[in-house]
Amino acid sequence: MPSTDHNAPGIDSGAPMVSLERVSFTYEGEKRPAVRDLSLSIPRGDLLGIIGPSGSGKTTLASILSGAVPHHFAGEFRGVCRVDGLDTCQVPLTDVSRRVGSVLQDIDAQMVAANVEDELLFGVENFGVAHDEIPDRVREALATCGILDLAHRDIATLSGGQKQKVAIAAILALRAPVMVLDEPTAALDPVSSRAVFDTLRELVTRQDMTVIVIEQKIALLSEYCDHLAVMDDGDVALHGTPREVLAHGDELRRIGVDSPRVTRVSNQFVARGLIGAPEVCLTVGEAEDLVSRVVGRDAADRPRPVAPLRAAQGPGGPGAASEAVLSLEHVSFTYPGNTASLVDVSLDVRPGELVCVIGQNGAGKTTATKLMNGLLKPSSGRVCITGLDTALTRTSEIARHVSTLFQDPDRQICKGSVVEEVAFSLELLGVPRDEALRRAADTVDHFSLPASAAPFSLGRGQRQIVALASVVVTNPQVLILDEPTSGLDYRECMVVMDAVSAARQQGCAVVMVCHDMEVVSDFATRLVVMADGRVIADGDVADVFADERVMRAASVRPPEIARLARRLSERVSPAYGRAREVADVVLVTEGLVA
Amino acid sequence: MSSVLDYSGGTTLLHRCNPISKMALAVAFCVATFFADSYLALVGLIALVVLLGVYAGVARRVLAMLGAFLVLACFMTLVQTLIVRSGDHVVLWVTSDGLALGTHVALRLVAFALPLMTMLAITRFSDLANAACEVLRLPYRYAFTLTTALRFVPIFTDQMERIMEAQTARGVEFDTRNPIRKLMLMLPLIAPLLISSVGKADDTALAAEERGFYLRTRDSSLKRYPFRPVDVPVLCLAVALVVVGVLF
Repeated sequence: MPSTDHNAPGIDSGAPMVSLERVSFTYEGEKRPAVRDLSLSIPRGDLLGIIGPSGSGKTTLASILSGAVPHHFAGEFRGVCRVDGLDTCQVPLTDVSRRVGSVLQDIDAQMVAANVEDELLFGVENFGVAHDEIPDRVREALATCGILDLAHRDIATLSGGQKQKVAIAAILALRAPVMVLDEPTAALDPVSSRAVFDTLRELVTRQDMTVIVIEQKIALLSEYCDHLAVMDDGDVALHGTPREVLAHGDELRRIGVDSPRVTRVSNQFVARGLIGAPEVCLTVGEAEDLVSRVVGRDAADRPRPVAPLRAAQGPGGPGAASEAVLSLEHVSFTYPGNTASLVDVSLDVRPGELVCVIGQNGAGKTTATKLMNGLLKPSSGRVCITGLDTALTRTSEIARHVSTLFQDPDRQICKGSVVEEVAFSLELLGVPRDEALRRAADTVDHFSLPASAAPFSLGRGQRQIVALASVVVTNPQVLILDEPTSGLDYRECMVVMDAVSAARQQGCAVVMVCHDMEVVSDFATRLVVMADGRVIADGDVADVFADERVMRAASVRPPEIARLARRLSERVSPAYGRAREVADVVLVTEGLVA
Repeated sequence: MSSVLDYSGGTTLLHRCNPISKMALAVAFCVATFFADSYLALVGLIALVVLLGVYAGVARRVLAMLGAFLVLACFMTLVQTLIVRSGDHVVLWVTSDGLALGTHVALRLVAFALPLMTMLAITRFSDLANAACEVLRLPYRYAFTLTTALRFVPIFTDQMERIMEAQTARGVEFDTRNPIRKLMLMLPLIAPLLISSVGKADDTALAAEERGFYLRTRDSSLKRYPFRPVDVPVLCLAVALVVVGVLF
């Protein structure tokens, strides 16, 4: 194992907390290195966000930092990884763990105990913390994460966000100076995601910890992190402050990483020559200031013609005025032994519509989708799909008309090869095997998937696209999507959403549950907001996002452009009021400046 | 998500006593059942378990389990009466020996299983594992394996349910009324479940190792499990049960 004695110069002065020098790692049995020739230096007290497309080596990097590579995963390791001066290859994993706490992606697997207190005790007991010191440590870790009240709860009864905080608290109690987290918010709603990042920020600011977090949500990273590192093909392509990194908008797009919408606004301003010196906006407030500076303070008083925005996007699509293919009439549903989880929900979905359902975890969104595909039957009211009453029809019969894409593709996949998996959907509908395989091959080809590969050997994002392919191959009349983009990188997300849009344009009615408000705002033709099992708003996307009362009641943060548009319409010009996309903001601004 | 293995909290004497005492009591029930011959003794033992369950506040659960075991017990009685042909003819194909043996086997089955399930309902697995290490000197890795396996049961059932749900939504006839057909449909799903389970188990192993699993010794546990006065009546009851079992 090559080892160097000199320290690589860090980006900050002083010895870095973590340093990687020309690290490469190839998993056993693989030909290509997952990480190659990677050098990175992380100062003490840094909150570093790592982003990159699927397969760029993010999780491997996290494993290298936590010592799981090379101690747990076998393979060929080159280079040196030092944490707090310690070469992670030269000492056992347990010694690395005293310095680096690690939170894995699968939070259920991370847990070793059945209740919260035991989960926290496990690590501190093992590492031999003096017994009289343990209760204080546990209490302090719980308090830092804001979950003191959960101390005696069973882990099985916690929500996803609560479990994530317990996992963080359990690592925190060990008091390792470094913490590495692999996509801690992948399964969380926006409110819980922010709560997790609030906690991480607190650790860095108040306890001088060094936190490294892998994440797909670029807006969250750029708001909270001190530095960003962008991974591309096993190496760090960009590393710097969020402002420095996000200034490379074109390069990020090439790598396959999204930029926050407000950053796109400022980048567009630079590209269109609206501002002289390059400037990068990270928050809605910054973008608001930038736009009002560009337009000029007195713009609001000057009546001037403004390029009209396109009319509010109506229910669009070929069958806008046609009959509903899916209708819920005063539907209520109660799980056995529970309180009502859906109360008096009425909803019509027409061909060609893409209806997004938003709301916090537990608002009843998933229950609503299960009522739509017949997995659940309403306690009262009626659900009709293409004229069939779901209460009177078998679920497997309903499946002929409705396809559902679930959040976790692994629940859907059950065949040995991609093409067979996709063909299986057709065979279930009674399509002869030859024809099914032929049609499946076309679809697999369309999505550029490897037809003969075993689905489980593919990455998470690819598996989601396999599941999507086997859903759209049947040309369903109704398509139901439960969090179709969570855990996907930007490119995969676009592949999924393009396929959904294509299905919609062919007259398929789409219902999508989604936490990513940017995706909602880009693709929805109608927005339904749920809270406490009720529909509290149903209408045009821009109108609903602009309704502050509804947003507050559902604890939903509108997408960045909607928030920016709202602020600009009050401060600069009412012309911004209906802006939904970056281009709208740029267009209105150009109109006002001209 | 609730399962028969969930912990049910409380402050009764049974809740407060040492996990090992509870297990000793359960074992004593088993030994007593093994020795007991008369119907009265067997029925008495089962009734005592139910009473203990009522005392510990898990009456509903114990009665539900009793119901489930009785179904199994009836089935076993039926099988025994078919096999055993000696003795006097009673009714239809049933002989007196067959009936006696059948009912005994059935009652033994219930009296064996019920106490253990009842005690597990009022014991935390982590307490049981720690106490087994401290009192019985069981190596921690075995205790950890056992508790983890038990903890994974509800996670896997939940996962299987979700897989079946997804397949039903796809058009697989899991809503068929034919149980054999349903079973045949389930078989291909074992592969995905197994794949995700192996991945999960490996992740848990890593997570445990990264939190010092291999450093753990008998003295690591903060919670101590000494025998205390509350254990005396429980252990006395256990001894008494064995004696009663042998005598009757």
